[in-house]
Amino acid sequence: MKFLNKVNRSFLILLTSVLLVSSVAGYFILRYIILDETKESLVEKENLLRKQIVETGEIPNLYPVMEVKELNRLTQRSPEFRMIMIQDDDEDELDPYLEYSNQIKIGDSFYSIKLRQSTFENEDLVIIIAFSLFIILAVAFGILFFISKQTNKTSWVDFEQNLKAIEEFNFSEAGKIELLESGIEEFDRLNRVILTLTEKLKADYLSLKEFTENASHEIQTPLSATLLNLDEVLQQNLNEEAFKKTHAAINAMKRLSMLNQSLILLTKIENKQFKAEKALSFNDILNRKLQEFATLFESKKLNVGLTLEEDLVLKMNDQLADLLLNNLLSNAINHNLEGGSILLVIRKNELKICNDGATNSLTDETIFNRFVKGNSKSYGLGLAIVKNICDTHNLEIHYTKNKLHCFTITKKL
Amino acid sequence: MKILIVEDEVDLLVTISNYLIRENYVCELADNFQKADEKLAIYEYDIILLDITLPGGSGLDLLKTIKKQQINSGVIILSAKNSLDDKINGLDLGADDYITKPFQLSELNSRIKAVLRRRHFDGTHILTCMELSIDTAGKSVTIGSNEIILTPKEYDILLFLVINKNRVLTKEAIADHLWADNIDMADNFDFIYTHLNNIRKKIKLAGGNDYIKTIYGMGYKFSER
Repeated sequence: MKFLNKVNRSFLILLTSVLLVSSVAGYFILRYIILDETKESLVEKENLLRKQIVETGEIPNLYPVMEVKELNRLTQRSPEFRMIMIQDDDEDELDPYLEYSNQIKIGDSFYSIKLRQSTFENEDLVIIIAFSLFIILAVAFGILFFISKQTNKTSWVDFEQNLKAIEEFNFSEAGKIELLESGIEEFDRLNRVILTLTEKLKADYLSLKEFTENASHEIQTPLSATLLNLDEVLQQNLNEEAFKKTHAAINAMKRLSMLNQSLILLTKIENKQFKAEKALSFNDILNRKLQEFATLFESKKLNVGLTLEEDLVLKMNDQLADLLLNNLLSNAINHNLEGGSILLVIRKNELKICNDGATNSLTDETIFNRFVKGNSKSYGLGLAIVKNICDTHNLEIHYTKNKLHCFTITKKL
Repeated sequence: MKILIVEDEVDLLVTISNYLIRENYVCELADNFQKADEKLAIYEYDIILLDITLPGGSGLDLLKTIKKQQINSGVIILSAKNSLDDKINGLDLGADDYITKPFQLSELNSRIKAVLRRRHFDGTHILTCMELSIDTAGKSVTIGSNEIILTPKEYDILLFLVINKNRVLTKEAIADHLWADNIDMADNFDFIYTHLNNIRKKIKLAGGNDYIKTIYGMGYKFSER
């Protein structure tokens, strides 16, 4: 979820709950206050009534709001309030009333007083006030929400752009990362941190790159000298024993050199130092590769089945595409059985290479790890390179084993 | 044939020049940018073997000078970097070929010969060796008037052996010559044996002698003796 949506959502939830709680609370508070006022006015009326009885001796009666009766003796100690319903003759319905009842003694007489006030209108009033409160708050909150959303949006525009610039930043390209100053302190601080961080990372990256290149150069040169000299030794008239040993030494040196090159290659692929310039048709490349590999297929008497349903076009560096297929095809040959078969299928967004092979070889995805080898003769880096190429080109590769060992490369959509 | 070898690693420089002298080339050596630059200003060379990383400057800069001053020289870049940028830059700047260290002398020789052929320094594209005559333009091999029909791979192997005659070539060296570096062939070199048997049979059938010697089952040699 985007930050703004998240903020807006929690803002909305908060506002709604505040609105609901305050209107409900407002309703109850108002009701309580009005009831209290009503009680006070009823007690006030009692005093007036008492005064009138003392002064005039009349007993006023005004049903239903005032009922006074003479009593023989007092039955009630203290005044009481209660809610009652009284039939309204005009409208033929029950109306709610607050009743105040008390028994008082004036001179030698006892009186029972019942004073009532309709609360029907009060109830209406409370609802109207509470509702108005709700409306006013809702409108105020709405305006607040809208304004904050707009300001958030404008202040995040720069941030979004900076984020995009960071996403597109590539260490192997020259030039600094371009970030906009938004004038918001936190964002500008973040920009400064990112700038210093990328500068540092870039320096590290360059020195690492330089190191790997230098290391490769420094290792390859003595290797070259060794290999050339061993090759010269091979030209002497050696006996079988000496020849075998020299030959073994040459092969070991070559292996070392290949390992060195492969490891450097892996680093380069991971660092995305291969630029993909154009879209390549894998159908074309595969056809070309099949011609290149024809002799190798023949030498192991392999049957090669090719199915091209739809062209697979990927944006990839052509050297890497070559390498990808070289490694997969070499793998399919090296692990194959004499007279076995290889199936090559290109479907929509999918390349599949299957081969016969020993059943006891590796069966899970660890096959892509470095230096994991099915047979001891390979370098154990071929599939690691394949996986690396896939990872850096938005491709997925899976290894499955049923009757055939299959590698499936699919385009991530 | 005059060759200038520009290489900062003296060991390598000496080994390469010793070998090329034995192959009847005249060699001049330069182990840094300055020396190479001076030699290029004075002499003309048929082939220049050029290392990219040099003390005192970049081989690519030398290449620019060569292309301005010595348009007839063939240039082969020797690089340890195996960096594609270098390869593309080098070839763009007009180098004839590119060979990655470590390489074998037989492979270097084959590349030099190929560059020479392409630039017609030999004056001919017919290579003769004993009774074999190889037409590198038409990619055909004849003995007398009999043409030997070879597959492209067999032709490549035979040419490689003839160019490096009297030299032991291991199965791996032949395989490396035939395929790109990055094909992992593990130990599947049987096809080389098959190819060589076919070549031998075809030469015999055309009335030639068997000059290809197998060395302890691990290497081959086209032997004139």
